[in-house]
Amino acid sequence: MARILFLVIAGVGLTSALSTVLSRNLVRAAVSLAGFFFTVACLFILLEAEFLAALQVLIYVGAVSILLMFGIMLTRGVQGTDLVSGPSAARLPGIVVGLVVFAVLGYAIFEEKGLRTQYSWGALDERTAIARGSKEPGSPLRSAVNNMGKVVGVELMTRYVIAFELAGLLLTAALVGAVAVAHREEDETRSTGSGVPPEKPEPTADKPNP
Amino acid sequence: MTAFAVPTSWIFWAQEQAVELDRGLAVRWGLWLVVGFLAVFPGIVAYMVLLERKAAARFQDRIGPNRVGPLGLLQPIADALKLLTKEDLVPRGADALVHLAAPVLVIVSAFLMLAVIPFAVGMAPVDLPSGVLYLIAASSLSPLGVFLAGWSSRNKYSLLGAMRAVAQLVSYEIPQVLSVIPIVLWGGGLSLVAIFDKQADYGWFIASPPGLLAFLILLVASIAELNRAPFDIPEAESEIVAGFHTEYSGMRFSLFFLAEYLSVFAVGCLATALFLGGGMPIPFARFPLNLLDGSLARLVVVDLILLAVFAAKVFSFVLLMIWIRATLLRLRVDRLMNFAWKYLTPLAIVNILVAGIWYECVIRPGALTLGRWLGGTLVTGPMVAGLVWLAFWVNRREWAGEAAGPGRPSLEGARPDWETPGQTGASPQRAH
Amino acid sequence: MGSDIPLSWFLLFAAATFAIGIIGVITRKNPIAVLMAIEIMLSAANVNLVAFWRYGPERLDSGPIAGIVLAIMVITVAAAEVAVGIGLVILCYRRWQAADVDRYDSMAG
Repeated sequence: MARILFLVIAGVGLTSALSTVLSRNLVRAAVSLAGFFFTVACLFILLEAEFLAALQVLIYVGAVSILLMFGIMLTRGVQGTDLVSGPSAARLPGIVVGLVVFAVLGYAIFEEKGLRTQYSWGALDERTAIARGSKEPGSPLRSAVNNMGKVVGVELMTRYVIAFELAGLLLTAALVGAVAVAHREEDETRSTGSGVPPEKPEPTADKPNP
Repeated sequence: MTAFAVPTSWIFWAQEQAVELDRGLAVRWGLWLVVGFLAVFPGIVAYMVLLERKAAARFQDRIGPNRVGPLGLLQPIADALKLLTKEDLVPRGADALVHLAAPVLVIVSAFLMLAVIPFAVGMAPVDLPSGVLYLIAASSLSPLGVFLAGWSSRNKYSLLGAMRAVAQLVSYEIPQVLSVIPIVLWGGGLSLVAIFDKQADYGWFIASPPGLLAFLILLVASIAELNRAPFDIPEAESEIVAGFHTEYSGMRFSLFFLAEYLSVFAVGCLATALFLGGGMPIPFARFPLNLLDGSLARLVVVDLILLAVFAAKVFSFVLLMIWIRATLLRLRVDRLMNFAWKYLTPLAIVNILVAGIWYECVIRPGALTLGRWLGGTLVTGPMVAGLVWLAFWVNRREWAGEAAGPGRPSLEGARPDWETPGQTGASPQRAH
Repeated sequence: MGSDIPLSWFLLFAAATFAIGIIGVITRKNPIAVLMAIEIMLSAANVNLVAFWRYGPERLDSGPIAGIVLAIMVITVAAAEVAVGIGLVILCYRRWQAADVDRYDSMAG
């Protein structure tokens, strides 16, 4: 049952990833990308990480896809047709590189031997079982799976606090940087204190020209 | 303890995938799906539309629909039949597939939001450990649908409406999410059932100054998320026909319609579950819950009380939104953005800190007492009031009618910067 | 059927999507399409991280959710990358009036 589910999800995911890369229409590519993100969220649920799945949908489908579509609207014709990606010289080498990377990764997945002190994950078919809903105290992993939000919060504030702070710093820098980069030059004189975030570079002023 | 050393077997798998194999859960989910999501919720939505039409008519000194059935009670059915029999037009040049997928996406988003709301004891369709996050994620799907609807119609008004809608939805999503964080803090988890239980112990979360502020922020942001007046510039009839759903007709249009009202209902449920104590009738008492003793009859009685109170609260919330819609005028685009970014978002962020103080004063010390509640209110109440005053004071120039943002027509040359805002004497709606 | 999903399936899915992402980065010329392909690659890496977290041995010295936290960090970085990336694309579009990475050659030797 779970295997069939996985195969269906993976099939949809691969199809949408391919159509993202191959589609001539950029908006359609962005739609496929949203679908791909959604299938990745489904895979996270299969991996028992619902918290991460919700996060994935919230950030990728809800924010990143929209942001990309705004970008498309601001840089292309409204219908999003990609005029420039005709037959390019890089197409064949690109596909060859992709296939070679896939072959190498696949070889690594199936031929992995593992160090002496460790186990080999190439043939790992089962995961550690987690009994949900049972009352007996379980391993840390189990309590983490059953109460992911809380554990993530605690871990981010204790063990990974430096990484957390760095991520905050990175986001602030990205925010300021994106505003600074995308700001129109003719607005420079009047731009003091404008609270427009980088996600929407003047959403009201930049009407797309059809 | 390594993974491969664990003897894996059917039993472990069965325990692990309890969701899949438990017969009772499957039956319950099936019931929710068939009865709740296919029958009850659409029915509620149909009559909510009637309610809105009737109420709006009263606000405008009219009678409203009263022809079909007694008091017009069969009007929703007639509307549904009319919409179903209408021709389903797809504009030439539209992207047919995306045009079809967009309303489905919007309505799926609205339905998904309802899947974790705890209506009564044991009556949450699903109790997810990260329910609040799931809710936010589900509601964040709808801007995508709205954008695709506008884009795929191949119509300028649709596209304009979609761009406006997405800008607005993305902006107001931030204060909406931030206003929920105090609840997560107080509830000690993301599960909505846990939050409901916590409110049984510590009173409704709205009964605290930061909770009240968060509720108001959520209310405003939700109205904006739902594209309702006064935040309805994405579908402003007088400017851009009907916004992103200009080119939709027949059943597809009614899907948008259904999704909009379903979202109103879902937001009402969300506000009720998060702030208004779910189905509890009295703010600081465990009233119906203390009747529970494990017997089925008691459970049924308690659940009926909870459901009735829950429905009443949602009804009042929806009525409040109808009232706001019938009363207020439409905001201008730049004011709309400014309101999200300069008022609501900073307020929501600082409100989280105040919520932390409330947590330290009231929730952490243990059981709720009147003294603790009063102390917490005395400490946080002035802070909240000061914050709101500060937010308006910082933005006072804009409030006085100064043109905001570059690219907007302004009287810059004619009016010097240092002129006192009072002299211009403008109300916020002046330039409307 | 009936038993668990093998770890290698997740890894294969991740490898395949990563390869697709590489193909996209190399063959597409539109900068936003390139950004999308990069996002696909980052998501593929995330699938790997979470799969290893769930299937791997439980190590108490790295906490119960090392893979999840790493995936959250990747998501954060990806979001920041898209924000800055879109800003750069818009700037480049304004400057060259073209959405084509091959035309952005002012730093080419």
